[in-house]
Amino acid sequence: MSKQETKQINTDEIKRMLKKKKGKMKLLLSHCVHCSLCAESCFLYMVHDKDPQYMPSFKVIHSLGKLYKKRGKVDLHFLEHIKGMVWRNCVLCRRCYCPVGIDIPSMITFTRTICRSQGVYPRVDESVSESWL
Amino acid sequence: MYEFIRGPLIWISFLIFIIGLIYQALRFFTLTRKKELVFINLPFNPDKPPKKELSQRILDRFVSLRKKTIWGTHPAMTVITSIFHISLFIIPLFLLGHNILLDEAWGISLWSFCESFSDGLTWIPLICGAIFLFRRIFVHKVRAITTVYDYLSLLITIAPFLTGYFAYHQWFDYQTVIFLHILTGEVMFITMPFTKLGHMLFFFFYRFFIGSEYSFSRGTRTW
Repeated sequence: MSKQETKQINTDEIKRMLKKKKGKMKLLLSHCVHCSLCAESCFLYMVHDKDPQYMPSFKVIHSLGKLYKKRGKVDLHFLEHIKGMVWRNCVLCRRCYCPVGIDIPSMITFTRTICRSQGVYPRVDESVSESWL
Repeated sequence: MYEFIRGPLIWISFLIFIIGLIYQALRFFTLTRKKELVFINLPFNPDKPPKKELSQRILDRFVSLRKKTIWGTHPAMTVITSIFHISLFIIPLFLLGHNILLDEAWGISLWSFCESFSDGLTWIPLICGAIFLFRRIFVHKVRAITTVYDYLSLLITIAPFLTGYFAYHQWFDYQTVIFLHILTGEVMFITMPFTKLGHMLFFFFYRFFIGSEYSFSRGTRTW
């Protein structure tokens, strides 16, 4: 069993972090009209044969959006899943363009902060099977 | 019921709409109270490169627009969404029937399009709505993030135009259709400030006040 699997998740801490930025983040999440016009602004989306999971909106909706939807009641498996979404699928180059003007990078940054607070982040010494690359 | 829909509920919906927008605006300005200079022009290259020719600068600007903006990557969608959003305002505001009602109630009215022109214009939101629906169902990247809520938002936006078109042409039972037309319009007003339709207001806030690379102005408010 790897170190990460034995780790405990502090859901109270996640809830506290989510609550702290609830106003801003919920406002941004609720105004995403799911138009997908941000897709082509992400170079990772373009180089991965336009795979929808690399769309900026997809990354935000399925990471931070789900964290709010689940009200922070998440497990390690979920955080490991979104770790790939916010680190492997996004390099935070801040080039994503939302027609409505939603600040997508700030939401990705916040999701990373939440993951990091629980010790979930990419490590250089990860084995190939665990690698986020 | 009909009397309530065409009387008090209109006022209630307008009131909710206006109070809702004010509340959301206040919320936005409270949340982004912290101001800072977002972009600082650092002396990236102390040895200034030679100034380019005007034609080259215009060409560079065009190439940059082509590569970096939605106008460049999705010209068709840019045109469609722009026309769609403009038509959502223009059609109801300058519709003869609406202005006659205003004139009868308050003795004031806006300039109106002729009926046949408004009738033709109504096709714009309907066709655009059909295109958006098509994208939601058949375009893979849009479908990947679509929820039931998105279909509902589209329905709320299009329903007043569809029922208005039916009412003008007196298709189906007129009383029922006009009842639905008024009701769907009121639903749109009530839901607008509190749902994703609120991008009507926040589009301008985000683009003009929040400092980012793509702002239309040098906004200093930050998240």
